[in-house]
Amino acid sequence: MPQPDIRIETGRLILRPTAPEDFEPWAAFMADIEASKFVGGPQPRPVAWRGFLSMAGAWAIQGYAMFSVIEKSSGCWIGRLGPWMPDGWPGTEVGWGLARAAWSKGYATEGSIAAIDWAFDALGWSEVIHCIAPDNTPSQAVARRLGSRPLRRTNLPAPFEAMVVDVWGQTREEWHSRRTRSAT
Amino acid sequence: MDPSTIRLETERLLLRPPAVEDFEAWARLAADEKTMRHLGGVQPRPIAWRNFAFTVGSWQLQGFSGFSVIERASGNWVGRVGPLQPEGWPGTEVGWTLASAFWGRGYAFEAATAAIDWAFDQLHWSEVIHCISADNLASVALATKLNSRKQRTATMPAPYEGVVVDVWGQSRDEWRARRNDRSAM
Repeated sequence: MPQPDIRIETGRLILRPTAPEDFEPWAAFMADIEASKFVGGPQPRPVAWRGFLSMAGAWAIQGYAMFSVIEKSSGCWIGRLGPWMPDGWPGTEVGWGLARAAWSKGYATEGSIAAIDWAFDALGWSEVIHCIAPDNTPSQAVARRLGSRPLRRTNLPAPFEAMVVDVWGQTREEWHSRRTRSAT
Repeated sequence: MDPSTIRLETERLLLRPPAVEDFEAWARLAADEKTMRHLGGVQPRPIAWRNFAFTVGSWQLQGFSGFSVIERASGNWVGRVGPLQPEGWPGTEVGWTLASAFWGRGYAFEAATAAIDWAFDQLHWSEVIHCISADNLASVALATKLNSRKQRTATMPAPYEGVVVDVWGQSRDEWRARRNDRSAM
């Protein structure tokens, strides 16, 4: 049950499964109060370690999980985004969370387009969702750019049972019809 | 090497890294009050899944973690036993958690012995520890049977911050000296 050997390139980014060398920037990201605000809040390093290895394990168990995002120009890990559906999750999510230094460059949208293509084409998903806190306006803007719309409000499963999120999303048909239009 | 191909066999048990099909039994164990009493209490299924994924991920990225223990005669998953050393942990542990339906058969001793051999031989650890709550008498008895001794107390890292455990353990030399004595008899 090894991690799948997948590598996706976009104009400025490389998406690949979790690797050991990603942990230091991951831990720094999860310790950043502002960056971690909408992904469950800041975590001490031992807790970040568990989340990091859970991501690596999800790749091996499910054959997918969020990709590590590498900025091509610097070679740096800048965040993680992609398909994510742990037990009890409200649907087939493509989510994103980037370190603060990588904000406001269009990276979340660029990476998520590639990840959504992959989720529909390689995983055969029929819908993608994005669980977004009601006050997370930057991620709402990304979701809109991706063509998703708010669908419903829900609670997340443990350990996030106290969090209420808006579920944004779209179907495969909606995604493909927009992608086809933009290609012409 | 792909660590998921590792297999250890004992007289009655098979130890191998967790596989997808182990999760249902894993989740039942996590929901069993009797088993989880000394391990922070029962866990809802989504938490059990994250811990299962964490164990699989530890195998992938660290090259070791808890083995799934399988009863050879039945094929049943009976629990997890093996090496673990998450970030901030008080040392190189070989721990054990068996579903309560399989207690009282010596399985934890049998599996822990194989896992300790493997940790010393393959991971080249110089010491094994076992983090045990003072009131977990069954695990204290097992640590004693393994010839570990109580060395110190430790405060566990997050998410178990504030939990104080007794650290039992022994060195590789102590373990091997006794193993040689036993096999020479």
